[in-house]
Amino acid sequence: MKYISFLQLKFQLLITFSSLIVFSVSGQTTTDAIMMPEGSACIFLGHSSGSFDHYWEGGTLRSNRTIANVTRTNTNAEVAIGITSRLNAYVGLPYITTKSSEPNGGKFAGVSGFQDISITLKYLGFQKKWNKSELSILGSFGFSNPITNYLSDYMPYNLGLGATQLSYLAIVQYDLDCDVYFRTFGGYEWRGYTKAEREYYYNNGNYFTPWMDVPSAVRFGGVIGAWVADKTLQLEINYNSLQSTSGDDIRSYAGPQPTNKVSMSSVGFFAHYFLNRVPGLGIIVQGNTVVSGQNTAKASTLGAGITYQFKYKK
Amino acid sequence: MFSFVGLALFYGCSRDLPTYQAYESFSFSKSDPEGGTWKPILLTSGSEILIDQPQEITSPEYLEEVSRVKVEQSKMSDEDRTQVSYWSNNPVIRWNEITLGLIAKYNLIPGPNDDDSYTLPSASNPDGKSKFPFAHPPYAVRALSYLSVAQYDGMVAACYQQYKHKRFGPSTVDNTIQQFYQDNEIPSYPSDGAVIAAASRKVLSAMFPLEAEYLLNLQKLHLKSLLHSGAHVESDILAGIKIGEYIADLALKRATGDGMNKAQVSKSVSDSIAKAGKDNFGWEWKNLEIPARPVGLAPFFGNVKPWAMSDVKLFRSEPPVAIGSDEFIKDIALLKDYADNVTPERRRIANFWQDGIGTYTPPGHWNYFATQLIIKYKINPIRSARIYAYLNMAMTDAGIACWDTKYYYYYPRPIQMIDGFKTILGTPNFPAYSSGHSVFSSAGAEILGFIFPEERVLLRSWAREAALSRLYGGIHWSWDASAGTAQGAKVADVFIDIAAKDGAD
Repeated sequence: MKYISFLQLKFQLLITFSSLIVFSVSGQTTTDAIMMPEGSACIFLGHSSGSFDHYWEGGTLRSNRTIANVTRTNTNAEVAIGITSRLNAYVGLPYITTKSSEPNGGKFAGVSGFQDISITLKYLGFQKKWNKSELSILGSFGFSNPITNYLSDYMPYNLGLGATQLSYLAIVQYDLDCDVYFRTFGGYEWRGYTKAEREYYYNNGNYFTPWMDVPSAVRFGGVIGAWVADKTLQLEINYNSLQSTSGDDIRSYAGPQPTNKVSMSSVGFFAHYFLNRVPGLGIIVQGNTVVSGQNTAKASTLGAGITYQFKYKK
Repeated sequence: MFSFVGLALFYGCSRDLPTYQAYESFSFSKSDPEGGTWKPILLTSGSEILIDQPQEITSPEYLEEVSRVKVEQSKMSDEDRTQVSYWSNNPVIRWNEITLGLIAKYNLIPGPNDDDSYTLPSASNPDGKSKFPFAHPPYAVRALSYLSVAQYDGMVAACYQQYKHKRFGPSTVDNTIQQFYQDNEIPSYPSDGAVIAAASRKVLSAMFPLEAEYLLNLQKLHLKSLLHSGAHVESDILAGIKIGEYIADLALKRATGDGMNKAQVSKSVSDSIAKAGKDNFGWEWKNLEIPARPVGLAPFFGNVKPWAMSDVKLFRSEPPVAIGSDEFIKDIALLKDYADNVTPERRRIANFWQDGIGTYTPPGHWNYFATQLIIKYKINPIRSARIYAYLNMAMTDAGIACWDTKYYYYYPRPIQMIDGFKTILGTPNFPAYSSGHSVFSSAGAEILGFIFPEERVLLRSWAREAALSRLYGGIHWSWDASAGTAQGAKVADVFIDIAAKDGAD
């Protein structure tokens, strides 16, 4: 690949509200077109903080002083491994903290803990180079699963969806030799079941089981990016969309639940700076904001992190 | 390869999520031919409701009805068969289950308006900004009690007529009629299923007026399934409807005058209740929501006409622990410990019994337990109706006693008395003492334990767990729970005395 000499790996910190929400940490690393060479690995440590004071109840944007402004912080460790130059693996584990601002009318306790471990494989399936451009097509498969017994049915403070998730994504990137690139991705995220701690819930009717079907979703997005400053700085603006394929609406002035039909669109930026003085070290800053949605938080998230890339074998 | 693994997981993980109780027509553990002599609740006796003398089974009219059943059965679709199986030969369970769904659907607390006021649902304008009803626990338990009492009295009346006339199903004269129910040798005139369908539909349509059309459709499906079942001809069904509507009218007449429509009071009345509490005891419960709700939930539910309690004041709990006393300080430490150490077991218990907004409420949960026991012990319809009736009457009166206690003492919640206190359950909009969950659960456990003595130990342990769950959740004091458990049992005893003498045992 064109930029392979940078040996970089891009991580996105964009973890929005997994409840009123739903971008899982898994999958995020799978949406770029960058491959690490065989024998290289990259470690990422990052921290992000997102908050919202409005959310969509069904399609209606509202505030709710019971929860006031809800903040969600995410401390994330990930490692990416170049198994071969065409096959990369990613493993990530976020630690999440949630709470409401004061004053709030609900007095609900926030939650902290490790969320879901994610394992993603990305494969470079096709690449063609022309005189002034290059086309890459990649596929990724991600798996994530909770590693703690956090309660998904405690929205909006829940750490995650509490369900096994599988993501299938196709990624297409078109690079121009003027250091500008365009990327699009799309795919499907299958979400399994989460177990509530009650034996009954209402989801447009009676459900006599603690198991909730977490709606699966279709995702797609697009990116415009560029390399600047002698290829030490990567800049991107992005658009992300997620649409649940089933589920119910949040009911009037009631809490959300994992069965909700979430849809959301967000826009964001991403910057990755590679320090010349310390080979392998990079700094990431990124942010995103939800611009439209249903049954989800109108959240804005800002985060930063460091990347360190090294060879684990010759 | 990856997608293959994915697909395997996808299919391997597909789960069945039950939306109704998986039971079908069953063989009853016993039949109750004397059920028509049991003491009903609202009727003077099982013979009060008059229906026509049925046609003889040799009569041309009856034979014509039988042949119509045959024609209907010959046209049955798969959906018709599903309906017969769904409604079953014990539809008391189904209509109870349907009611739980309606409670959950309507158990939504009104949110604030833009000007920070709250608009409460209104029976006179059910489709207003806040849909009527707000099916909170007092509303839910009372609705369940009217449903179950109407079903039970209707079943007593039906049973009286069944064994008076002893006209069995159409297969008596034509053995080519398909029998979809287990044969329990219960006479078919009148159809007890039709009694249950008509009584339930009518009571529920009054309790949930926006659902009248939905309920009418359910009644139609149920009645059609009765004809398809091979157990009934049309005249059985029509006689059942007559009984069902009669008893529903009687129940609704009582409901109109029981004082529930005055349970929610004005701000000025609410303020005077608060002042009385403060004058008498020196403390005052406050709603801490933002914006604060001006009035607690159903302050005069304690004045609603009870089913059997003589005088609600006799069931009022003793005064709670004084604020600032040693015991009070000790409980603050206990609640802080629970809040700081949310163990998996405490969290599980708090959530299992939460039954909060958007659910079938604690009384609904105890109806669900009753349903499981009814299925487990293969209880027949009249006895099922009796179980739900005593369960829901007892829980209603227990709720009335609890609400009387709550608004008499006007005792504050933990979030109000402990600085910076956070909870894992939502704090309800009414005073703490005594705990509604504890009262409902204890009353429920005692009634079900009386009916199913072999389950009593387990049921009582559940009631204690339900009471404790509110402490784990951070929304009740220890004495709210203990007084509530005692209060619920005391009210249940009133009903156990009545049930012991109603002729069923």
